[in-house]
Amino acid sequence: MRDGQAGASRPGSTAVDRDGDGDGAAGAVPSMVAAYRHDVHKLRGRTHADAAAEFRGVPVNENVPLHADADAALLSRPRGKPEQTVPAHDSPRRLPLLDGELDCVAGEVEDVGDAVYDLVRIGDAEALHAAWVDADVPALFSESRYYPFTSAKYHTLLVAALLDNYRAGHDFADLFLAVSEHGPGSDPKVVPHRTVVTTPSFAVHVTAEPERPAARIGDVPTRCFADVWARLPTVPFDVDGKRCWRVLDAQLRRVRSWSTALQYVEAFMAALADDAPGCGPPVAGWSV
Amino acid sequence: MTRIQQVLFAVEQPYMGHPYYVSGNALYSAIARHVDKATRRRLQVSHGVFVPGEYGSPTDGAISLRGGQKLGQMLPDVEAYEDLFVHRDSAQRWLSESRPRDAVNTHPLQRHGNRVAFAAETLFGRPEEMRSERRRVPWLVQCYVHADDDAVLPVAEHLLDGIRVGGARNFGLGELSVVDSQLVDLAALDYSTLEAADAFELELVTPFVLESEFPDADAQSVPWWWAPDERDATGGVRRRAERFVDGADVYELGTVDHGQVVPYSGSKPVATAKNGVFRVGTHSRFGFGELRVRPAGAGRVPEREGRAGGDS
Repeated sequence: MRDGQAGASRPGSTAVDRDGDGDGAAGAVPSMVAAYRHDVHKLRGRTHADAAAEFRGVPVNENVPLHADADAALLSRPRGKPEQTVPAHDSPRRLPLLDGELDCVAGEVEDVGDAVYDLVRIGDAEALHAAWVDADVPALFSESRYYPFTSAKYHTLLVAALLDNYRAGHDFADLFLAVSEHGPGSDPKVVPHRTVVTTPSFAVHVTAEPERPAARIGDVPTRCFADVWARLPTVPFDVDGKRCWRVLDAQLRRVRSWSTALQYVEAFMAALADDAPGCGPPVAGWSV
Repeated sequence: MTRIQQVLFAVEQPYMGHPYYVSGNALYSAIARHVDKATRRRLQVSHGVFVPGEYGSPTDGAISLRGGQKLGQMLPDVEAYEDLFVHRDSAQRWLSESRPRDAVNTHPLQRHGNRVAFAAETLFGRPEEMRSERRRVPWLVQCYVHADDDAVLPVAEHLLDGIRVGGARNFGLGELSVVDSQLVDLAALDYSTLEAADAFELELVTPFVLESEFPDADAQSVPWWWAPDERDATGGVRRRAERFVDGADVYELGTVDHGQVVPYSGSKPVATAKNGVFRVGTHSRFGFGELRVRPAGAGRVPEREGRAGGDS
């Protein structure tokens, strides 16, 4: 199930509109803003075909230029005809990989419609990015009912990261997965549009211009998160010091879907903040 | 010495040990209690890789698997060198696309006291409304054993059955039972994909030990046939500390972390491939230094190849 991107141009393959006026439509919404609003139908439990053009007066569900949406989809879902992978769960709601994680997220959201409106009505692209990185409501939804462990939140952030890189003239093959740590109390290094997840201690970025430890993603978009993560020259947490970081690292080496993996980072960090499971000093025999 | 014995264990009880894999040392220590002295002295054990007991195909989803086999609960036939590694990459690329493959391949975490353990099975249908649809996917561990005297092999399955690994073993955690076992002769395998290539990469399937506190263990540099300096300037090779437990003693190890990929500058890729299975460097007897040779650029993600483009 591609999202209506058939016929979109491959970045770099043809002359494309790189200054952000959208993909030929006469819409007035700059394309970076459109990237954050392109999947609002998923947060409202609607199919792409049933997507409305506006949500409470905000233009939504527009096509994202430069093939960024289709490429981001390939990072998290199989190509080709989708299959229902969890037949008992035919719902737009995301299924959790960590028990109880969705209860925490849902507890932060009083009214889904209001929360979605607060998120997408923002008109400034960088402010939209900052809001999405912190947002709870899109994490309640998967990016496809066929693949309920994917995340609409991280799909959207990946679309924006790809689009921002493509608009700067880069091809997919130029992109890196980059990581950065921030000390306690210091601000996270958030790069507008290119930071795809932030936590209290580290951030993960998709960028063609890494200033920090990074691993090349590959020539074409595919579900390769585990592969790229395992090749990172350094991980952004102290795996030598605490077992919980080794647990997270081990899990991230297993997950191939990008949006699933990024959502797992968020969920794991939230669980850690709650009660730091297994993060005490190493216990004798812990490495056996 | 050209033979290995692959062993597939079912995880019977939650596991609270090393999160990346069951270390070869943990498996060796558990097995050593059950075997005779000659076997104990000669046996070498790989790290054990966690495998979900799910449907799948070794050709990475290329074949429709409806009504297929639970590849995670069996040892696939090994005819070519690549077949050795079907279960040894934690991303488990063979997992079927018609199931929620990432959910199946992520360890469910359980709290035991103040420590996190990996559950012995993954339950699907956790939300309340799905209780009647619960589906259980068991976890398994794949490892292989070998010896400098092939007469030691095969180790009888009943000697491997019921071993316990990881923390809280005395409370029953980490119990493994044998599901499948087979002998593989590395000399009889097909290495044609390596013979057909002219440039190669090395993937560290398990960490390579550079430094060890273990008595009389020398510090090692990486083998001359690695060419890590040729990597692009995005950070070099990732290092990680490991610990080697010998009875009550714990020794620090400095390693190049598993998962790293380096160019190969040697001229005998097939010989290196065979050596890589038997492992190289300090502590190789206990699982460290397992290498896989790949044709350069072939990558670990097969879908990257053959993409026509524009048909998405």
